[in-house]
Amino acid sequence: MTILQAPDRRDHPAGRSLARKRSMTQATSKRRGATYELERGYRRMIIPAILAVAIFAIVPLAGMLALSFSDYHLIRGSKGEFGFHNFARLLSDQRLVNSIYVMSVLSIFGVAAQVVIGTAVAVGLQKIVGKWRLGRVLFLVPYAVPHVAVALIWLSLFTPTLSPINAFFDLFGFTVPTFLTTQNGAMFAIIVADTWTNFPFAMLIILAALQGISTDLDEAAAIDGASRVKTFIFITLPLLMPALLMVTLFRFIDSLKHFPMIFVITKGGPGRSTQATNFYAYVQTFQNSNVAYGAAIAVLLFLMAALISFYVARLNQRVSQ
Amino acid sequence: MKHLCTTALVASFAMAAPFAPTAADAEEINVVMFGMPYTNGLRKLADDFEAETGIKANIDVIGQDVFENRITLSFTGGTGDIDVVHAPVIQVQRWVAANWLKPITAEVAAMAVKDDILKGPLDAYKINGEQYAVPFMAATGLMTYRQDVLEAAGVGVPETWAEMLEIAPQVTNDDRAAIALRAVPGQGFNMFIFPMIMRAYGGKFFADYTGGDLTPAINSPETLEALKVYIELINDYAPQGAGNFNFAEVNAAAQNGQVVFTVEGTGVVTQIVDPEKSKFADVTGIALPPGGPAGRSPAIAVHGLAIPSSAENPEASARFIEWAVSPETMTKIALAEPFSNFTTGSVAQNAEVIAKYDAVHPDFLRMQGEALNLAIGHYRPLLPDWPSLGAAIGENINAAVNGLMSPEDALAAAEQEMKDILGQ
Repeated sequence: MTILQAPDRRDHPAGRSLARKRSMTQATSKRRGATYELERGYRRMIIPAILAVAIFAIVPLAGMLALSFSDYHLIRGSKGEFGFHNFARLLSDQRLVNSIYVMSVLSIFGVAAQVVIGTAVAVGLQKIVGKWRLGRVLFLVPYAVPHVAVALIWLSLFTPTLSPINAFFDLFGFTVPTFLTTQNGAMFAIIVADTWTNFPFAMLIILAALQGISTDLDEAAAIDGASRVKTFIFITLPLLMPALLMVTLFRFIDSLKHFPMIFVITKGGPGRSTQATNFYAYVQTFQNSNVAYGAAIAVLLFLMAALISFYVARLNQRVSQ
Repeated sequence: MKHLCTTALVASFAMAAPFAPTAADAEEINVVMFGMPYTNGLRKLADDFEAETGIKANIDVIGQDVFENRITLSFTGGTGDIDVVHAPVIQVQRWVAANWLKPITAEVAAMAVKDDILKGPLDAYKINGEQYAVPFMAATGLMTYRQDVLEAAGVGVPETWAEMLEIAPQVTNDDRAAIALRAVPGQGFNMFIFPMIMRAYGGKFFADYTGGDLTPAINSPETLEALKVYIELINDYAPQGAGNFNFAEVNAAAQNGQVVFTVEGTGVVTQIVDPEKSKFADVTGIALPPGGPAGRSPAIAVHGLAIPSSAENPEASARFIEWAVSPETMTKIALAEPFSNFTTGSVAQNAEVIAKYDAVHPDFLRMQGEALNLAIGHYRPLLPDWPSLGAAIGENINAAVNGLMSPEDALAAAEQEMKDILGQ
């Protein structure tokens, strides 16, 4: 007796194709499952970072925003007013206007000096070869010194009775001008100290960018008879543009946080002429106990920094494309 | 609303110090002070306190610049991470108004040392009948002068600021200025010095401070005259760049012989006359600060120790304060550090202490005593708003000194800002 057996569908060409499809679907599904698991794992891995940002950035920021709408005073407490009164006051505050002017001058001239000096040093260092390359480390030293220490060093250098620079020129009968007793002089002193400690950042970025430019271009330009200056201006500089742009904008954002230099070197003086915006927020908050108004100034500063950051991100995207 | 604001404040600021050390248990306390000879000396004696009481004291001595921020964060957050805090008398009114300090009247009354503490400085910490701190130091203002230069010029020690202006050109030459004074803006910087001149000319901060009339009165002919003297001294007879001098630059100028006169706090004066630190100590004399038509008004700055409201172990804090101001501890610090401003009276009777400061300068302790007797407790007004008021006045005074505004405009602006701060 012949027992009829149902044909194995896998023996049939159509069945084989179906089985293959099924097996592929299962594999794909398994792979998808694995990918999903992997993605879930990755997502879990960023939870600590999200928590850290939430706790250390978003919560304080929300707190600052809430304070800026209140009337909270460290001594007098709060009368319960909640509204835009602090922001309305910002509009007519001459000290705030002066602080924005001071911050702009310090940032624009400081960053310009840092980028120019950083580029010049980077170009010089790139030419150095052999064991002397280790000398590059020396240029990083100012960047490693704490800002308060930098400020104290420059306070001494700008104080005529303590400064070796003044003592040196005195030997030849020259009088070095006094910097810390005029607004322009005091701002110049802060810019010099800030430039000294921050130009190595610009130098590092530019040096890295320079090393990414092929030397073939220089050689080709030399063969065509271009001078070194022309080669730098018409070949190297355009290729450095993305790096220069980025370093300028990053330094500009960072420069909005002028504090240790002002606090140590001038204490905001002479008068109030070097009180930059964040220093003014500090004065209102800690010195005048006016926490709510200090928070409103900080919110304004945050918005300015956020706008610049947004612009940096957009620019970064465009440069990358 | 207040709770909401406090919560927001804590959220926004206290995040900056989320892991601040907290006293681990009842046998450990945290003490926060700012750097000066007494506090540096006290930190070195922390083990003595533990040996005596079994309580470990973590004494943190930080810069004066960051002290205010550090304690404001702690107090507003109510973190309880500070058990004993350095309390300058000019800040205490503000801290009490904000409920940041615990009244310690009963604790002080129980201290064996209380009758040994100078009454004036102790009373300076009494607000609305409650004691809020115990003083450890009362600094005053003194003048230092170069005896050799005055003798060579044939002039005497100036008794008034007007005489100082007469003598100044006679002792100035290409290598040496007549005087160095603090000028940098700040209620503890130029506003430690300028009121000595202002009060000597009869100027005052308020219409009638002692009578309770707090109408700002700094924009007066007397204060204007005083400000012009201050400006003339700094611009015409002080070293180059003196418009930004703080006590460190004044001290250095005197120690290096770059000036003939200084008027400074006793903490700086001890360094100017210390032969180990100053090249000209042996020819430097000490006198009371110059006076004026309204007499002499040496500066005074009292510093003490207080217990924050949020302190978790006030009994241990009180024991620490009693130990810190005891004659034994004070004597050790007076002998080990340049610390002569002690407010525990019996220390001044100690033969070793007398010998030490006589060796530094024979007139020092006597002059310091005279200056303290002349000083008025409210040299800088004892008001909760003084830190803001002092800063506003100091910034305008500094602007006038450096030519950014006229003396008249500076005083008018200072008075208007005083009114704004006080809500008048």
